[in-house]
Amino acid sequence: MKDWFRKGEHWIWFSASTVSISMVLVFGLLGMIAYKGLIHFWPHEVYHVEVLHADGQKEIVVGELHDSKTKEVEDPTAENGHREMAQYLFKVGNRDVYGIDFRWINADEIVGGINELEQDVLVIERYEYGNVYGHIQSVSVDGQTISDKKQALKILQQQVEKGSRLHSEIRHIEKISIGEINYKIEGLRLEEKKLRANNAFDAQEEARLQAERSALQEEFDVQHASVQLLYKQADSLGQVTVEIAGGKQLVVPVKKIVHFWQPNNMTFAQEVGFFFNAVGNFLVDDPREANTEGGVFPAIVGTVTMVMLMAVFVTPMGVIAAIYMSEYAKEGTVLKMVRISINNLAGVPSIVFGIFGLGFFVYIMGSSIDELFYSYALPSPTFGSPGLLWASLTMALLTLPVVIVSTQEGLSRIPRALREGGLALGATKSETIMRIILPMTMPAIMTGLILAIARAAGEVAPLMLVGVVKLAPELPLDTIAPFVHLDRKFMHLGFHIYDVGFQSPNVEASQPLVYATSLLLVLVILSLNFGAITIRNKLREKYKSLDN
Amino acid sequence: MSEQNINVALDRDHRSLSLENEKVAMEVKDWNLYYGSKQALKGINMIVPENRVTAFIGPSGCGKSTLLRCFNRMNDLIDIVRVEGQMTLHGDDVYAKEMNVASLRRRVGMVFQKPNPFPKSIYENVAYGLRLQGISDKNVLDETVEWALKGAGLWDEVKDRLNENALGMSGGQQQRLCIARAIAIKPEVLLLDEPTSALDPISTLAIEELIFELKKEFTILIVTHNMQQAARVSDYTAFMYMGELIEYTDTDSLFTNPQVKRTEDYITGRYG
Repeated sequence: MKDWFRKGEHWIWFSASTVSISMVLVFGLLGMIAYKGLIHFWPHEVYHVEVLHADGQKEIVVGELHDSKTKEVEDPTAENGHREMAQYLFKVGNRDVYGIDFRWINADEIVGGINELEQDVLVIERYEYGNVYGHIQSVSVDGQTISDKKQALKILQQQVEKGSRLHSEIRHIEKISIGEINYKIEGLRLEEKKLRANNAFDAQEEARLQAERSALQEEFDVQHASVQLLYKQADSLGQVTVEIAGGKQLVVPVKKIVHFWQPNNMTFAQEVGFFFNAVGNFLVDDPREANTEGGVFPAIVGTVTMVMLMAVFVTPMGVIAAIYMSEYAKEGTVLKMVRISINNLAGVPSIVFGIFGLGFFVYIMGSSIDELFYSYALPSPTFGSPGLLWASLTMALLTLPVVIVSTQEGLSRIPRALREGGLALGATKSETIMRIILPMTMPAIMTGLILAIARAAGEVAPLMLVGVVKLAPELPLDTIAPFVHLDRKFMHLGFHIYDVGFQSPNVEASQPLVYATSLLLVLVILSLNFGAITIRNKLREKYKSLDN
Repeated sequence: MSEQNINVALDRDHRSLSLENEKVAMEVKDWNLYYGSKQALKGINMIVPENRVTAFIGPSGCGKSTLLRCFNRMNDLIDIVRVEGQMTLHGDDVYAKEMNVASLRRRVGMVFQKPNPFPKSIYENVAYGLRLQGISDKNVLDETVEWALKGAGLWDEVKDRLNENALGMSGGQQQRLCIARAIAIKPEVLLLDEPTSALDPISTLAIEELIFELKKEFTILIVTHNMQQAARVSDYTAFMYMGELIEYTDTDSLFTNPQVKRTEDYITGRYG
């Protein structure tokens, strides 16, 4: 035993157990987020529950079982005056009828348990008011009503497919074509303002602008007419009548249906298909219903664009600063102070950077830019309000110390012999740095960038001040030049989590979305990092033999 | 390989050499160098004869490498170094204010103790100095790279893998690549700072043979720890001790008939 201690075995065991605990925590965290997030996309079975209320009223509840908990209740018959009672959370849907999506039901009130599946139940997801749970009664199209259930489902399937085609066509025209026309019309309005401000607005210009405007208006009218036509077609898709729990008939127009399924009649393969379909929709759809339903596509685009721009800004800034400090600046008190400041900058709370970004970038720089270049558009701000550019710059500032420090480390690891080799061939100092030293420092720069991405992608607090919004009308990336719109506000996965989780009116509905979005955020950060790590490893491979 | 064989291989013949009859490539007058307040070189006077190999020998810390690094102003990189005296390269003042250090280093090339190829392809390593001068004509580059690699005796070994990374070569090949890189820009003088101290005996022999070939075109200065090497490759040898140039004459005389007691002590191995 004495030997055991002398060998230091206890330290080895101690370190090993600490590592294991960390691993368990990390994988536990990821596992929980993954499970809770992904289960949301799996088709839930729909249960049929008979509830007997205290006042003797009987009620049938049909819905998905989402959660359960126990609650302490008073019970004089029990030993110490109270006992534990189970409570179940059901998603009952039909919000337009019941007013709520979710309800808790006490186990005491349930007659006969909760193991009975509702037969042939139909779940319909709508663009508004959430899901419908009920039994199909009939489908009416073009005045014809089909009451045979099998036939009705078949027809409904066809109509819903037609509907979603129409829906995406309408969305495409509204977002892309009409969006572009609106963008151009706005451009003309600003041009007119600009000309007026410069006193260059004469009859000729007016005629030109007028001509362009009426051309755009004509184009708009064409597009608008085609959208109206599509809307009419969508209206004529018919409607489905559903009997919901309690015997009430609910009429759902087909154009409002996203899709429908029969969870209790699905085979396993169908369930898997449903799952992947749901995950796909989550990734590529726009959010609906105050972000509690639909997808998170704009948030993914916003996050990735912001991080990429941040990388574009922070890399040159950090690398140039690091090169100056370790290659040119004279060692001394000043340099020491600068180093200490940079290291301390890394410890400044991110919200402070957010405040700085708002005060300096948005209010000072943004409004100066507006006054200098966009004065014609005032009083409506162009860069003088929070937006993508300022958010990326704020993030770049936040992650600057990381890049500087790791670049400096990389620079100090380049052997002296190589610098001398470059200089001895008649290269100047800057040529040696640009051609020999900087390429060899790339792996270290990439390491800094990886850390910067990890930090920037996960940061939410400063972004709320400098450009992230709950729901952005337009993506920061689109097909209209200049493609990346630096002045636009954008959505962000981190803020989306906060917003859906804590600001949403429908807490129960949004809870799984919080997990799913968290999982997605982790995956986005991981894949951004993985990309950077792959590049770094390639570079490392190139300079591998230098290490010895 | 015995020393005799090497001598035969190098086909050397120093017997008729005398510094007075040589053309001057570089000249050093009253040369002093200080590291801060510590004097490292004291009153050095010497001429470097053109198209000859001049060796510096002496115990560790005697200042021979420091002196060598004065010839292409490598010591400029060290902030605390201060120099006094005059140094000329074919009549041009090396330390003149108007002397461009980068172009001086193109005229005075250098090969270091440890091979230091850049982490680039073999071709790019050799072409590096030319590209710095703005030469990008593919034909000129190809020709010069081939000439330099042939000059460094490396062409036959690498001609099929010019685009491979230079770091994949052996140490001896890397050092010859560094020599090729240095001669590709056709310097007037080539400084070799213990070029074989990190190499195995066979690579050392290859480099020594190479030095013998190169002196036809370049003036060569070599610092070496190895007295046999100095005796084998050089025409003239300078013995330095404690920052002073003790004795400087043709190699045969220095090794067979040293005039100063200290030189004799050193070459007979009494200290060093």
